[in-house]
Amino acid sequence: MKVKYENVSFNYSSTAALKNISCEFDSGKTILVAGHNGSGKSTFLKLMNGILKPTEGRVILGEIATDGKRTSELARLCALSFQNPDDQLFAQSVKKELRFGIDNIGGGDGLYDSIVDTLHLGGQLQSNPYALVYAMRRLVVIGATAAMGTPILALDEPTAGLSIREKEYLGNLISFLKARGTTVVIVTHDLNFMLPYSDDMLLLSHGGVQFSGGRDEFFTRSDARDLMKRSGIGYPMYARISSALDLEKAAFDADEIAEWARKKRAGVTQRTNGQHQLEGA
Amino acid sequence: MTIVSLKDFSLSYTKDSPPALHRIDLDLNSGESVIVSGLSGSGKSTLCLAVAGFTETFPAMTVSGQIIRSESADGKPLRVGIVLQNFYSQVTYLRSTVMEEIAFPCENLGLPRAETARRVSDAIARIRIGHLAQRSPLELSGGEKQKVVLAAAIAGKPDLLILDEPLSQLDPESTSYLGEVLSELKQELALLIAENDPYLTLKVADRLVVLSEGKIVADGSPETVIGPSTASCLDLPAWTKCVAKAYEGSVADDNRMTRQYELNYRKALSLLRGSE
Ligand SMILES: Nc1ncnc2c1ncn2[C@@H]1O[C@H](COP(=O)(O)OP(=O)(O)OP(=O)(O)O)[C@@H](O)[C@H]1O
Ligand SMILES: [Mg+2]
Repeated sequence: MKVKYENVSFNYSSTAALKNISCEFDSGKTILVAGHNGSGKSTFLKLMNGILKPTEGRVILGEIATDGKRTSELARLCALSFQNPDDQLFAQSVKKELRFGIDNIGGGDGLYDSIVDTLHLGGQLQSNPYALVYAMRRLVVIGATAAMGTPILALDEPTAGLSIREKEYLGNLISFLKARGTTVVIVTHDLNFMLPYSDDMLLLSHGGVQFSGGRDEFFTRSDARDLMKRSGIGYPMYARISSALDLEKAAFDADEIAEWARKKRAGVTQRTNGQHQLEGA
Repeated sequence: MTIVSLKDFSLSYTKDSPPALHRIDLDLNSGESVIVSGLSGSGKSTLCLAVAGFTETFPAMTVSGQIIRSESADGKPLRVGIVLQNFYSQVTYLRSTVMEEIAFPCENLGLPRAETARRVSDAIARIRIGHLAQRSPLELSGGEKQKVVLAAAIAGKPDLLILDEPLSQLDPESTSYLGEVLSELKQELALLIAENDPYLTLKVADRLVVLSEGKIVADGSPETVIGPSTASCLDLPAWTKCVAKAYEGSVADDNRMTRQYELNYRKALSLLRGSE
């Protein structure tokens, strides 16, 4: 489902969190939202699932503007997993937590099984969510949110507190949802991990849009580094490596860069493996 | 000087569960920063809680072995500060401004007003949250709250500061300057940090302890610890992964990372480029 923000502003009592922002993302895209602490990312997501309504402007999901709609109606369009997982857990067991979305909003049993498999939650179904370690609690909340089967899924800092193993599970879930046609909107500081999964990017700074559009388009811009800097984000590692290597376009993970290097090696010389070592100093 | 010493320490949360920590021997020394890494569930948070003395109040738990804490310089019990993985629960919300929130631990210590004020403004400057000082702690973003909790912990000047993934909600720019702040802090106090970010480890750690299934599998300088035997428990810097994949593991097998990681970065680039 398409997502569109039209001249949206949002004020908390004392703070203007978003200032006249406009952006648009096509159905089925995976969108990364990045920006410095306090730039308005969480506010942006809360406006999408209708917990917050714009002070000015309109948020439109598909053809439906969120203002005037009830939160319960909007919950069928956009599910949100919060930045703090402990704000969201409520059930006595992981299974109940995950079934809630399936039973009340209706993702279907097939979706339930896929989520349990993808996130490797099968061994934990009877556990009390509060007895799990932090990373597992976050996975449970993400799983429960995805289980609602909404056309739009919003994730606030989904990798925070995850180790490499759970990040891998999360990555697989995102790929799975993308294949189902879900529009996935991810607020993240972890661009190194998330960029390979994304189509589009939204960069926020002080409540305003620095960039909104395609990921690949972004990285061809000559001011890409500048824009990221202004949003409080370091230039992602793999993009740095790509530009240091003069790759034609930015790569987003180790596989891409390794593939490039292997091809180059095969083409240029016949050197053997193991000849080169990355020494300690 | 050793300030906390774990001796053959084991802990299970319930009678039937496998030990969350298994036969841990670990000394924490003043002036030292120790980073603990490992997959989730490996025992990092439990170790943080146990060292802080929190687990002593858990009802169904079984422990064996010992945790010995030295005294503080003034002869009082060792002062230990902690920022929990879920730091949200540590904002007291009893105070109307961020500044007062940060003063809370100092007031608890009964410090004179002037000293409290000095420490609070110092912590605010270090964490760079001057713009939030007069805001309500209730009305902050996730990352802003994490910074406030961190500032309060620093203002308390404990002998040992324990931080459980202290930068999890921070933007990359903040992560980078807070790495510097943590490096400076270790001149003043001992640090125990649960963290999986390789860049922070390389910047801050004197010692890297790797946990797996409740056991210590490595303990030493990051340069000696990060390597093939711990790779399955650790996240590695991006360039290391690229080189390892390009050379199908052969380089990773002989890879020791150093603090001069820019140097290694450049070496990695020339390797990948095929120009070395
Ligand atoms: N409940 C609230 N009341 C008042 N102001 C708030 C509230 N929540 C957030 N703010 C303010 O609104 C602005 C945007 O906050 P938001 O939570 O959207 O930021 P964010 O980009 O998600 O930050 P982070 O990366 O730290 O999570 C910030 O200035 C913040 O202090
Ligand atoms: Mg946020």
